[in-house]
Parts: sequence; structure tokens; C-alpha cells
Amino acid sequence: MPNWLVLATEALPAAALPAAALPPLPVALPLLVCALLLIGSRALPIWLPDLVAVLTALAVAALCATIAGRASAEGPLVTWFGGWTPRDGAALGIGFSADAASAGIATFAALLFTATLVFAWNFFDRTHGHFQILMLLFLAAMVGFCFTRDLFNLFVWFEVMSVTAFALTAYRLDDAAIAGAMTFTVTNSLAGILMLAGIGLLYARAGALDFADLAAAVARAGHDPVTAAAFCLVAAGLMIKAAVVPFQFWLADAHAVASSPVSVIFSGAMVAMGLFGLAKLVWVVFGGSAQIRDAVGVFMIAGGAVTALFGGWMALIQRHLKRLLAFSTISHAGIMLVGIGALSQGATAGLLLYVVGHGLVKGALFMVAGILLALRSSVDEIALRGRGRGLAGAGAALGLAGLLLGGLPVGLLDLGARALHGALEAGGHRLALAASLLGTAMTGAAVLRAGARIFLGWGGRPGNEGRAPTLEEQERGNRAYWVMFVPCGALLVLDLAAPTGALVAAAPGWTRSFTGRAALPGDAGALALGAAWMPAASVGLALFLAAFALFGDRVAPAAAAHIRRLHAGPAALLNASHSGLVGDDVVWIVLGLAVLALALAVV
Amino acid sequence: MSLLPYATAAWLLGIGLYGIVTSRNYIHLIGCLAVCQSATYVLLLGIGYRRDAIAPIFYDHPPGTPAVDPVMQALVLTDIVVGATLTALLLVLALQVFKRRGTLDPQKLKPMHPPSNAGTRDAGPREAGFAGEARPEPQP
Amino acid sequence: MSPRLRVLLLGLAALVLAPCALAVIAAMPEFGTAIAPYGARINAVAPAERNIANMVTAINFDLRGLDTLGEEFMLLAAVTGTVVLLRGRRGERDGDRAARLPGRAVVPRSEAVILACRIAGPLTALFGLYVTVHASLTPGGGFQGGAVLASACVLIYLGEGYAGWRRGVRSAVLDAIEGGGALLVVLCGLGPMLVGAAFMQNVLPFGTFGALLSGGLVLVANLGVAAAVTAGFSQLVLEFLEETRAPRPDGADGGDDA
Repeated sequence: MPNWLVLATEALPAAALPAAALPPLPVALPLLVCALLLIGSRALPIWLPDLVAVLTALAVAALCATIAGRASAEGPLVTWFGGWTPRDGAALGIGFSADAASAGIATFAALLFTATLVFAWNFFDRTHGHFQILMLLFLAAMVGFCFTRDLFNLFVWFEVMSVTAFALTAYRLDDAAIAGAMTFTVTNSLAGILMLAGIGLLYARAGALDFADLAAAVARAGHDPVTAAAFCLVAAGLMIKAAVVPFQFWLADAHAVASSPVSVIFSGAMVAMGLFGLAKLVWVVFGGSAQIRDAVGVFMIAGGAVTALFGGWMALIQRHLKRLLAFSTISHAGIMLVGIGALSQGATAGLLLYVVGHGLVKGALFMVAGILLALRSSVDEIALRGRGRGLAGAGAALGLAGLLLGGLPVGLLDLGARALHGALEAGGHRLALAASLLGTAMTGAAVLRAGARIFLGWGGRPGNEGRAPTLEEQERGNRAYWVMFVPCGALLVLDLAAPTGALVAAAPGWTRSFTGRAALPGDAGALALGAAWMPAASVGLALFLAAFALFGDRVAPAAAAHIRRLHAGPAALLNASHSGLVGDDVVWIVLGLAVLALALAVV
Repeated sequence: MSLLPYATAAWLLGIGLYGIVTSRNYIHLIGCLAVCQSATYVLLLGIGYRRDAIAPIFYDHPPGTPAVDPVMQALVLTDIVVGATLTALLLVLALQVFKRRGTLDPQKLKPMHPPSNAGTRDAGPREAGFAGEARPEPQP
Repeated sequence: MSPRLRVLLLGLAALVLAPCALAVIAAMPEFGTAIAPYGARINAVAPAERNIANMVTAINFDLRGLDTLGEEFMLLAAVTGTVVLLRGRRGERDGDRAARLPGRAVVPRSEAVILACRIAGPLTALFGLYVTVHASLTPGGGFQGGAVLASACVLIYLGEGYAGWRRGVRSAVLDAIEGGGALLVVLCGLGPMLVGAAFMQNVLPFGTFGALLSGGLVLVANLGVAAAVTAGFSQLVLEFLEETRAPRPDGADGGDDA
């Protein structure tokens, strides 16, 4: 265990508790606070819910960090609720199994919530603490989702996450927010239904719900249609949450229309939770089935690569900053999915680091969008051209975050990306590697272009992004600039200041504990970082693409016009395919389900 | 037909999805989602069923009497609560959609709008609607 | 996409999914022959070790009590969300004032309706309590009992009219009851930890099998859930009913939105 973590966690009072008492606390604490806030909702002064929520999220982060530290030293902390310890080798109740990596992800989620609640200070002052209640429930559900070792309990936390997310999306109550929330609610309810059907099928085969019991049954079942169908349904449910092509259509609208503090959580943590859950189930529950492993290797590598490219391309042709960021999240979700599909310890370590790094950077980016909405009353990069002057801090944050997103070789996100690159190279997934580099470059370019246009006033003539759908909106400007900027900067500092050396040392152990098994045959099991030229190449390409979008007209007018004409048709088609109509989204979900089923049946 | 319950569940999921995809009214769509949800009820209860067994309540029958699977019954109970909460939230959204748009047709409701005149617009800060409001742009 | 294209694509997906579904159904365990080992073990363990006769209650409130904790807060999230989303448009200020019904004639209730509701209301409430407290014996429990209690609450509206309903059912009180019920459920989890047991461990005496007071902590958690569900569902009805009303024209308590 790294020294900094020992020092950090031993200073906390919770470190003295017995190991089994710790994991329920970060879930129970926010629930307790929610109940108290609801009881006192009418009587409390307006500022109190904000303060209580921030302190609670911070306490959850401290508890989760303590758990991560303890788990790193002692192995996963296991709790059996109600004292129902397994008998005769099979579970009777529900257990939490908090390994270091899961606790690390939970810590990250709690920190992101803390920053977001500071960012949203005073934003929701007229709701009697209802917004804070929903946010804390969201956090509790995420922590429960990270720690649980029971498939149905995982579903319960998944649904709590969904229900709070639905309410938070529509919160702004304008046409766009309600329409986006409607599509989001229908598609993600379907995700829950598919997942529960999968859980039912698995129960029919295994007669158990605990991960360990299920894993044993899956391994016994071998090549079995029922197990495969169960995986297909559960994975589809999680991939809808994780916004993998073609399950992604709901995301851009939901993230674009939600209030910016909510979007921070959606893009930074909720999408990542879908991928995290998928990775956990692939390794811990379904890892014993060669049929499912093979299908995962094909579907998730191909699907991830397509998602990475698709999201990057879509991000390049957006003008609404939050929608642009939403598509970049889709692209990065694809890169993370490739990390699941690679099925190696190194790729899993990369995935876990990437989740945290990406969440920090993307959270900061959505906060910049929120600052623009509050102080400049728009997030349309063309309408805002040059109007970001005077917000130098926000502009610098956007530029830095854009570079990090595009692959700037410093910080946590880069460490995760390099670990993924190394694992993909070792696994022979050259095409997926190229796709993830391209996706990274395109999302970085999109953010840099938007930043240069808004804060520097460059790029007078917009390209095809000018014809993308947009939205006129603004958020209440009742908060001081610095209150919004400090959490945004803090997230970027966290990404940059992460002790990469210590993490590289600790990652293999954490990953082994997360996956619950030693490396699969043909996997070295070590963390191999990719070559240094790869992030450099992607950030270079990002800068080039951004510069071409901004200055192509002046430097090479003929070429720029030609490319724009060539690109106009596909761009229009892509934007039109995201119709935002719920019927279309559901058709795509069913098609995705069919493709996944085909992969499982054929492979 | 011993496979009928599972086939019923698959059928319910299928027609529910068909209904969602072709729906022209949000209330109908919410009903179709409930049909999909009931597919899971049928599936779970079918999996937990045992012929000639009692409900898993040992009040009138002594413990040890063959009973159906109580786990599936408990999961369905949770599932029903999930369904109720989702229906409540969706109905709220449908209500708000109708209040603001005067229609419940999913085909007529898009979150984002094409820009009014691409690229040349430079909206001032007060041009947008009042705080927190988004103004729909005219459809071309 | 046009509706026709959608159905076409759906049909295409069905071409793949239908054979897959058939293969899965054919491979499923034979219907109605045996139950899963997990369920069978619970049928054996819960009556013997917890003196509970109703296995569904034993699972929901003891063996898998954590699911119920999550479920309870899922309901709380939905109710909170509903309140925020409906009230956001109306504004918060008229929260506890009766509003008017625009453009509809107010027909006085017949005395028969009033009488029927006044008789049925208390009986329904009593039945809800009965269902709740017999959780460990007969079908029912906090969720079911709470739903029945909430319908008793709605009978106040039917019998006493809107003004009577608004006098009797206060949003702030419902919030407090809902939060209090949820708090009780969380404390059922945290409380046992104070005496060194596991989260939600059933540390109270189990009583005798088949008696009303059996099951220990299960009963307490049931009461908490019943309170939260009653208040939560009543809150939902209250907020939806408000949607049929308009703010009073004097402007003093109207919403601040356009």
C-alpha cells in the first residue's frame, strides 16, 4: 500500500472500527442524512441543506478512502448484512465485498459529489433541500453499487441511481429538459427491465444471487443458452447506462438538457458506473464461461472501438457545448469498453484508472459549461464566440481539460490511457488501439475548438458544427464566479496531482483483488504502459484538428471548403439520426440487443 | 405446455417493445413500459413456481410443507415498487409535457432544435428566455 | 425514422432474437418441478431461526433487508422527485393553501357518499394497520399495509371534499412522516451495530412462532416502511390532485412562474 494512503487513512477516526463494520457506513450515512433532511425540510434555514450535503459527501469520501486503505492492506472487507454469514458454502443473505479498487471508485464518486455540491451551492435554494436529498441518495446508490456482491442488490442500487437521475434531469422543467428526461427515463427503465430479466434467468440456472455462488454455477453450466441469455440481458442493461453504441442515443439529450451540476455527475460518474458494473460482472460472475469470454472479446472490442470513433466524430460536429461534452463522454465510454473487452489484468487496471481520470476531467469541463451558462447565459460555442473574455480562469480550465482529454501526457487520465494502450498492444488489438487514439484526439479537438472560439474569439466561420442542433438556455447567475471555479479547478488539480508512481505500484494488486482471480492464460498480469509517442500523437492530432477547424479557411481555403463539403452530408445524417425521439432510441436498443445475442450465439 | 410461462414472458416483452416503438401517446407508451415490466413478473414467478406447493407462508401449514420459491416472490415485490415509482415519475413528466406543449405525441417532442440560421447568429445575453427557461426555436 | 422503418428494423431484430429466445426457453429448467436451492434453504431456515411464518417478509426485512432499505429510498427518491417536478411549475409558496378548480361546476357530494367514506375510511385504515402488523404471520407487510393506509387517506378527499382534504392532509406533515419512517428503517440497520452486531442484524427477541409479536426487528422495520409508504403515496396523490387546480386569483399564493 502506498505510504500516502497509509498516512491519509490512519488519521481518520473510522480506521479504528472492525473491518466488517466499515462497508455499510458510507451507504447508511447519506441515507440517514436524507431522512433527517426530509423530516426537517420545512424548518431548516436555506443554507443548511447545502452545508449538510457537502459535509456528508466529504464524510462518505473519507469512509470510502479508509475502506480502500484497509482493503489494500488486508484484502477485501466483507460484510454480511443481518449477520447472515454463508452456510455450507452458499450465501443466505446479502454481502458487501469492498476491495481496494471498488472502494477507490466509490471514493472518487464521493469526491466528485462533494465538488459538485460546492459548485451548486445556492443553485437549488428554493427546493426545501429536495435537490440535496436526491443528490445524496444518488451517491449512496453509487457506493452500494460499488460494494455489493449480490446480483439483485446490484439491481436495486442500479434502480435507485436511475430514479434519482430521472428526477434530477427534468429538474429545470423547461421543454428541453422534460423531453430529454422522458427519453432518458423510458430507455433507462428498459435497461432495468432487461437487467432484471437477465437476473431471473441466471437465478433459474444457478439458484443463487451471491456473486461467488453465481460464478461457480456459471462455470459449471459451460456452453449454455440460459447463462448466455442472462449475460446478454444484464450486459445490455448496463451498456444502456454506459452509453455504448447503439445504446447511446438517450445520453446526448439527457446530458445536454440537465442542469450543469447534474451533468457533472452524469458524465463523470453515472456512465462510468455502468462500465464499472459491467467489468465487475464480466470478471467476477461470468468469467468462468468460455462462451461469454469469447463473445465479450469480440463484441466489446468492436463495440468499444466503434463507440470511440463515433462519439469523437459526433463531438466534432456539435456547437452546443454540453452536447459536445456528452458525445465526448460516449467516445471515452467506448475506450473504456475496449478495456473490458481486452480481458486482461493490465487493461482492467487501465480501465479503473481511466474511469477516475476521465470523471475528474469531464466533471471540470461540465463545470466550465455551467459557469458559462450562469455568467454568459449560453453554451452555444458560435453564439458565445469571443464572449468568454473576462473569464480567464474558466478559459484556462477548459483549455487544460481539453488537452488532457486529447491525451496530454500528465496526470491520472493519461496514466489510465497509457495502461489501456499497453494492454491493447499486448493483446494484439491494434485496430481498437488506433480507434481509441483517434477518438481521444477528436474529443480533445472538439473541446479545444470550442474553447478557442468562446474564450479567444478565434474561428469566425463555423464549419459543419454550425448546423448541429442547439438550445438557448441559461442558469441562475446567483453564485459567485469563484464558488463555481474552485471546485472545477480542484478536480483538475486532483487529476494532475495524482501520485502516478504509487498508483502504478499498487494497481496490479488492486486489480487482482477486483477481478477476483489471477490472470487468464496468455495474460502477463503486469501493468504495461503504452509507448510515450501514443498520447503525444493523439494530443498533436487534437491540436491539429482544432487548428484546422478554426483557421482552415484562412490557411488553405480550397482544401477546407472541399473537406467541409465532403463532410456535410455524413454530419447532417449523423445529427439527424439523433432525433431525440424515444421510439427511435428503443429501436436502436433492440437492434443492439440482437447484435449482442448474435455475438453470443455465433462465437 | 411446461414452457408456456417463459414464452409468455418473452411475448410480453416483445409486444411491450413494439408498443413503445410505435406509440403515438405518452400515456399509452407508459402503459407499454408497464407491459414490459410485467414480463419480468411472469418470468420471475414462473421460475419460482412449484406444482402442488403452497404459498411460502407457514401459518396455516406447518413449516416444511412444500412451498414455492419465496425469493422470487420477494424480488417481484421489489420489482412492483420499482414499477410504481417509475410510473409515477413518467406520469409527472407526461403531465408537464402536455402542459407545455399541448400534445402527448412522442413524435412531436424533441429535446434539441436545429439552429434557426446556422452560424451567423450572435445571441445577446438577454435575448434568451428568463432564468432557467429554454425557448424553442421555430422548426424549419 | 418513419414508423414503417422502425417496425421494419424491429422485425429485423426479431428475426435474430426470436430463435435465440426459443433456444433459451427450450433450455430452461422444467417449469413447476423444483425450486432453487436458495429458496428452499430460506423456507427451512427462517421459521426455525427467526420464528417468522411469512417467508416473503423474512426475506424482505431480515435475510435480504438491504434490498428493502434501497427500495424504501427508491420510493423516497421518486416521491421527492415528483414533488420537485410538479411543484417547480406551481411554485412552492402555495404549498399548504387550498387552490381553486377552474371552469368546473362544484357539485355537492351526496350524503350517501359522505357516509360511506366516513365508515369505510377508518375501516380501511384499520385494515392497513392489520396488514402491517401481521407481516410476519400472513401475507402483507409494510409496503402493502402502507398502500392500504394511503388509500384510507384518499377517502378523506372523497368524503370530505377538497377543502377538508387540504385541512387534514398537510404536505409538511407528510414529509415528516415519510422521512421519519425512512429514518426508522435506517436506524433498524445502524442500531444493531451499536451493540456490536452486524448492520440490520435481528437483535430483538424473536417471540414465539405464530404469535403476533414474532420476528423481532422485522416488526419495527415494517412499521417504518408502512409510515414512509403511507406518507409517500399520500404525498403523490396530494401533488397530482393539485395539478387539477389553479392558484387563487388574488395572486397572494399563486406560483411565481409564467
